[in-house]
Amino acid sequence: MTLGGAGCVGDDGSTTGGGSASGTGTGTGTASTATDRNEGPEPPTADSRLYLDYDIGTLEENVVSGGVPKDGIPAIDDPTFADRAPDLLAPDDPVFGVTRDGEAKAYPQYILVHHEIVNDTIAADPVAVTYCPLTGTAQGFERGAVEFGVSGRLVNSNLTMYDRGTDSWWPQMLATAIKGPLTGESLREFRVTWTTWKRWSSAYPETTVLTEDTGFSRRYGVDPYGQYNEKRGYYSSTRTLFEPLQGDSRAHPKAIVIGTRTETGALAFDKETLLRQRVLTGHIDDTPYVAVADTDLATGYVYANPESATVEVSDDGYTLDGTTHDADSLPLDRSLAFDAMWFAWAGFYPRSSYVD
Amino acid sequence: MSTDSSTGEAGLAARIEGLLGNTAVAVRGALTRPDGRMTLGLTGLAYFLSYLVGLRHLGLGRSGFSLSVVSDPLTRALRQVGPFQWEPIALVVVGPVELLVAPLNMLLGAILATLVGLNLAVSVVAWRGPSACRLGPGAGTVAGLPGLLSGFACCGPTILLVVGVQASAGILSLFQWLLPITLVALLGTLLWIGSRVEAA
Repeated sequence: MTLGGAGCVGDDGSTTGGGSASGTGTGTGTASTATDRNEGPEPPTADSRLYLDYDIGTLEENVVSGGVPKDGIPAIDDPTFADRAPDLLAPDDPVFGVTRDGEAKAYPQYILVHHEIVNDTIAADPVAVTYCPLTGTAQGFERGAVEFGVSGRLVNSNLTMYDRGTDSWWPQMLATAIKGPLTGESLREFRVTWTTWKRWSSAYPETTVLTEDTGFSRRYGVDPYGQYNEKRGYYSSTRTLFEPLQGDSRAHPKAIVIGTRTETGALAFDKETLLRQRVLTGHIDDTPYVAVADTDLATGYVYANPESATVEVSDDGYTLDGTTHDADSLPLDRSLAFDAMWFAWAGFYPRSSYVD
Repeated sequence: MSTDSSTGEAGLAARIEGLLGNTAVAVRGALTRPDGRMTLGLTGLAYFLSYLVGLRHLGLGRSGFSLSVVSDPLTRALRQVGPFQWEPIALVVVGPVELLVAPLNMLLGAILATLVGLNLAVSVVAWRGPSACRLGPGAGTVAGLPGLLSGFACCGPTILLVVGVQASAGILSLFQWLLPITLVALLGTLLWIGSRVEAA
């Protein structure tokens, strides 16, 4: 699948390529440095802007205070990792897993709920691993020489990050700046897998895991919103803390979808249905997409399938054109996808198809 | 005209002075009695602990005995993380109890707890004492109400999850003002109770 004229989607589903969506930058695949727009460095941006269902002015108008000041929720800027799980991390607790150039890392949800952003370096690449508790989204971004912080603002309940180079505001799910010098540009993303510690550590025994040595004093066993290992509180309630940009009754507000968006549209698959049926299909505009389940990690991958090739479940993966493949390596263009609460996805992308 | 004005100002000043004096007498009087001191101690401590629990700085957690302190605690202690909330600088674990130490929040909690305790101590003594006159048992409740307000303030927007109200810009702005409103209200009720007590 091609994202825009010069952009592409890597094997891991990440958006790559340098440059600036708005045409005001001249990136070449590395982090932009200081420009005449701002003294600070810029995070690297994608060649093309991701699809938005609203104009940027409308999104900016809907920014609300989350009740905390800028950096009131402190990002982890100097993360430490261990080979063993922290005592508080139970096998079925959620973690956000990242692999990059053979390096595997796990970020426990119970730590990130207190920080939301980890400015990390994986396989020598500066990245930000981010988590929004209110929308149930874990996403990864290339950050170049810039760190991201928590602005204290929300859009559609979603974490609005700011970059410490230009102070542009980036709603996490949109991955597109809606305020500041980089308005209209989209970040380069990479795959973050929402799974459990047991599944992740089984799939990647050599993984390291973020520790509680974050530089901050927190009661890490206490989640202010509820709990996941036996879902409770906000994570299962029909109530939202902030009014969504748009309500949508097609699913339970907190149902988990695996959503993908390109430069032309958005599409969501019900995660529970996908894990049960293992293959689902949908469309963005006229382009067919196929989602397949990874039963080991209890996650899903989404591929553009413009030729409508038949993907069938087999004993050890998925069969396409007579060849069997793992869920994460079908010979199709993978589109970056991530878990999200339905109300948040539908609020940002009300025109998105919902496949269940 | 100017004479009338200065007479009025002098009268107001005298009334305020009288009110403060009467309240001071009432507070001193309440604290000379065991039931007054007991009320101040118990309600003050209960409020202080509730305040810390409301902030989620105090509660049950992992078991053990440990103390961890952040680097550069003095700078951290002054870092504001929310309306009237500051960065914790240490985590103390004693048995199953966890305590986050945020010095400025502890100071604020102690001030609020003292005001709540004084309100209730004066109310209790005035109600039970022989010179208690126009105070009914409801005065203590009235005195405690501002304390509840600050309880909402310290919990932030997550309290809205409990009460089932969706956050809005207005409600979030209100949260920022709850604590100063609480302080003023606690002082106000203390003065009100003091004004209604006839010093023996």
